[in-house]
Amino acid sequence: MTEVDQTSTIREIIENYPADRRYALAAMQDMQRRFNYIPEDGLEMLSERLGCPKAQLYAMATFYKALSLKPKGQHIIKICNGTACHLRGSVNLATELKRDLGIDPGETTADGMFSVEYVNCLGSCALSPVMVVDGTYYNKLRVDQIPGILESYSATKPEDVTNHD
Amino acid sequence: MSETLTITIDGKECVCEKGEFLYDVAKRNGIFIPVLCRSDAFADHRACCRVCIVEMEDRGWRKVVTACVYPVEKECAFYTQSEKIKEERAVVMALLAHRAPESDRIGQMAKFFGGEEGFERLVSVDGEKCILCGLCVQACDSLGTGAISTVNRGTEKEVDTPYGNPSSSCVGCLSCANVCPTGAIEYQEDETTRTIWNRAFERAYCESCGKPMGTKESVAFAAKQAGVEESRMCDECRKRALADEMMKTYRYV
Repeated sequence: MTEVDQTSTIREIIENYPADRRYALAAMQDMQRRFNYIPEDGLEMLSERLGCPKAQLYAMATFYKALSLKPKGQHIIKICNGTACHLRGSVNLATELKRDLGIDPGETTADGMFSVEYVNCLGSCALSPVMVVDGTYYNKLRVDQIPGILESYSATKPEDVTNHD
Repeated sequence: MSETLTITIDGKECVCEKGEFLYDVAKRNGIFIPVLCRSDAFADHRACCRVCIVEMEDRGWRKVVTACVYPVEKECAFYTQSEKIKEERAVVMALLAHRAPESDRIGQMAKFFGGEEGFERLVSVDGEKCILCGLCVQACDSLGTGAISTVNRGTEKEVDTPYGNPSSSCVGCLSCANVCPTGAIEYQEDETTRTIWNRAFERAYCESCGKPMGTKESVAFAAKQAGVEESRMCDECRKRALADEMMKTYRYV
């Protein structure tokens, strides 16, 4: 996405909402969905539109786990680390992903394809351990299934991937 | 005129208005309640340091409240030095002392309120002075600059500018540093520049007497907020200049 595109997309998102501070979170969520992160320009433009300090928006963006200020990968892998998944070896999933992708939870691969993160509970404890890739659930996962799953996502070219709402 | 109530604080009868904060009533009556995160410069307080706890008694029921933000609504008794309060305040001070071991003020208060002995099992945060009370953020917001905020959460929470970069909203007025109860906000100053939050500001001096007047940016910002022309002299010199001018004008009237 070129810079001009990004700026106009941000403007579009922001102007969807009335210029009132209470819409800050909604606008930031939309940006997160669209770009997989919140660009600094986005915070800047939002603070101008809502007339509230950029520092306050930055505080909100760093507070909520669902919002990210760093660019995320094309595919987001969430490893459930709730109690049930933790007991059934979610750490092993993270270790396997580290072996395949070379990144720890919270990081993004250098080619921008994958981001790995821990989430606290996906509410599917009966299916533990659970991993979610771009909204698709992989249940009762074994470590040896992971390379195959990654393969299927690596095959998709970045152009084919639109946002996963 | 709102309703007046008579309450007792540590056995002393005090008259106050309904809804007045207990801390203000106590202060007016010469009763000391320790505080950290409170500044009289603001109308609202956050009571997050928890040092101002007192015990309240109403019809035989007792509970612990924070004096800073407790509005007196009915006639009841308060105790600032009860056994329970002494004990709880010691715990609060011990926790604060381990959160901000570098702060002298916290250290002294912890010693005074008994937050030193018996808390050896707590682990200190290395090199920390900040207790995250948010007074600096409130000061910055109330001035209309809004350059700093609390970022992240949990154990990683801290006060900073967006992205940790020099903020374009900051005017280098030092309000945050001055209001900080633990002296946690650092800045450097020499003859010509002041550096705070990673940004260097040019210092401003009175053209007439040479007294320091903050930074160029803070003078300009204050003038803009007040809707007046930027002054190059300090308040005193400006008053004197105005008086001189009046003298000249009305000399023969």
